[in-house]
Amino acid sequence: MKEPPSSWEDSSPERLYVITGGRSGPSTAVHLDLVTLVVAKGPPRPETQPEQAAILRMCRSPLSVAEIAAYVGLPVSVVTVLVGDLMAAERVHVRPPVPAAQLPDLALIEAVIDGLQKL
Amino acid sequence: MEQKDIPPESVHSEEGRGPVLATLGALAAACLVGALLSSSEPVGTGLIAAGAACTAAVFVEALRRGRALAAERAQVAALRHALSRQEAEAIRLSAVVLPEAIERLRRGELPEEVLTALGGRRGHGNRWGNDAALTPRFRAALQAVLAHSVDAVDNEESLRDSAQRAFVNVARRVQAIVHQQAQEMREMEDRHGTNPDVFGDLLRLDHGTALIGRLADSISVLGGARPGRQWSRAVTLYSVLRGAMSRIIDYQRVELHSVSEVAVIGPVVEPLIHTLAELLDNATRYSPPHTRVHLTAVEVQSGIAVEIEDGGLSMSEEARARAEKMLAQAQSGIDLNDLGETPRLGLAVVGRLAQAYGFQVSLRSSAYGGVRAVVIVPQHLITTASAATGLAHGIGSSSGPRAVAATPREHPVHHPSAGVSAPRSARVPAPGPAPVSGGPTADRTATGLPQRRRKDRVTTYDYDTRPAAGPQSADDSGPGMWLEAFHSGLSGEPGQDAQGAEDASGSATKGA
Repeated sequence: MKEPPSSWEDSSPERLYVITGGRSGPSTAVHLDLVTLVVAKGPPRPETQPEQAAILRMCRSPLSVAEIAAYVGLPVSVVTVLVGDLMAAERVHVRPPVPAAQLPDLALIEAVIDGLQKL
Repeated sequence: MEQKDIPPESVHSEEGRGPVLATLGALAAACLVGALLSSSEPVGTGLIAAGAACTAAVFVEALRRGRALAAERAQVAALRHALSRQEAEAIRLSAVVLPEAIERLRRGELPEEVLTALGGRRGHGNRWGNDAALTPRFRAALQAVLAHSVDAVDNEESLRDSAQRAFVNVARRVQAIVHQQAQEMREMEDRHGTNPDVFGDLLRLDHGTALIGRLADSISVLGGARPGRQWSRAVTLYSVLRGAMSRIIDYQRVELHSVSEVAVIGPVVEPLIHTLAELLDNATRYSPPHTRVHLTAVEVQSGIAVEIEDGGLSMSEEARARAEKMLAQAQSGIDLNDLGETPRLGLAVVGRLAQAYGFQVSLRSSAYGGVRAVVIVPQHLITTASAATGLAHGIGSSSGPRAVAATPREHPVHHPSAGVSAPRSARVPAPGPAPVSGGPTADRTATGLPQRRRKDRVTTYDYDTRPAAGPQSADDSGPGMWLEAFHSGLSGEPGQDAQGAEDASGSATKGA
């Protein structure tokens, strides 16, 4: 399950909590899940944090949170924190995925089938 | 010195002859008085003769004594000379020879060499040998003192060395464990990245581990060794600064401002991170908890100046002098005894690292009211950012525009050689298939990854500066086309980003 021991060079001196400022989830109330589409409103400003700048450049066309996480090589939670910050700064639009169709309860369907069969 | 060295006969001769001389004198006087008082001629003549004989004897004795006295004076003078020579030699031993010997031992010379050079055990007394005023015993005594002192100092030094080695050994083991832990922690963070609660706990554990690692690094530096791991390649300054922030408790209070786009060469990465972490720790520790600590890095004539400013209490001139003295002392070598009394290990570590790697550290009062610490990294330790790896998690850690990962979507392979912008996506536990359950997905790519289809228009923007790049114009040309347009736009776009993008895609195709 574990990769062969990677060299020091694989890691970077900074740890993830510095990137997120110690947060593990987005501060905004908007729910961000893996398939939420993110699209940038404009190019990154010079003072933008590098990870956020990368997300902004990447999201010139809409990209899902999961894809962003894969490209930047960061865990999804980190990406949601960063995207949440970008949303708070109004630098990105997010579009929640189309919700799955609301199917009625299985028990209810069975009850209807039963009722129909009894007719 | 011993009594035997004084000639014994001179003492005895004085004692025996004193009364004889007095008796002879009294006898001569008595004869003279008897001759004057006596009336008879023969008696008078006899007394005068006897008196004359006594007087002659007194003269003879007086002459002999005069000579003896002169001889003794000469002897006393010689002894006094010898004494002053011995005194001078003893003083020189304590004031010159011993300090020199200790100094040479501290510099790491072998005790035998020192003794030979300074005329000790094997030196055959060449330093003290040609002076007749020094007796062989005295010379031997001086040499013995020197030899014993040198041995004692040498023992002490080797004891200290082995204690330091033990320190460093323990610190190295702790570092190894911490490093292992940090790597596993990172894997866990990737694995549980989708669960914010677990992820938050992991981040806290990760932070704690980093703090332990910094302590181990400090111990190792105080033991005279390198702080920790070696980086073989240059790391951007931005990553170095954030690396320093990772290792302090109150990293959330540190505000990272503009950072010039340079990189630090590999061998000094770790020392610089540690130096800055110690200074940041001091800044956050000795300022009120609600204030911010400002961290900036700007280019100066002699290199890069990293500034750490806090809004705490200003240092009094006296405190500042003390802190700078501590830095200076640490640069000339750390006395572990002193450290016990001063709890601020940090400055000692900073001083030591600054001395070893050529950083200049100065403490001044800040415009914010607190302390402003400036670390100047000399020019020869700096390189260009493009030569650097270890960028912030593989996505380019400079804040300016830069090519993003242009790796084809189908092959998110990890390329260590791609360096600048290869995504580390291989380690992310397959977030790809997840969107299958999402609504607007249909096609699959050649490798079976789901491909999203566009059903409705999502707002995009155009770069004002690149009106002709136009990947967005492909919006209506067909399902799935926007992604291709995205990638072709990335890899084919002109200007400053093109180089990096080409590099990345080139290595990606090589890897594929």
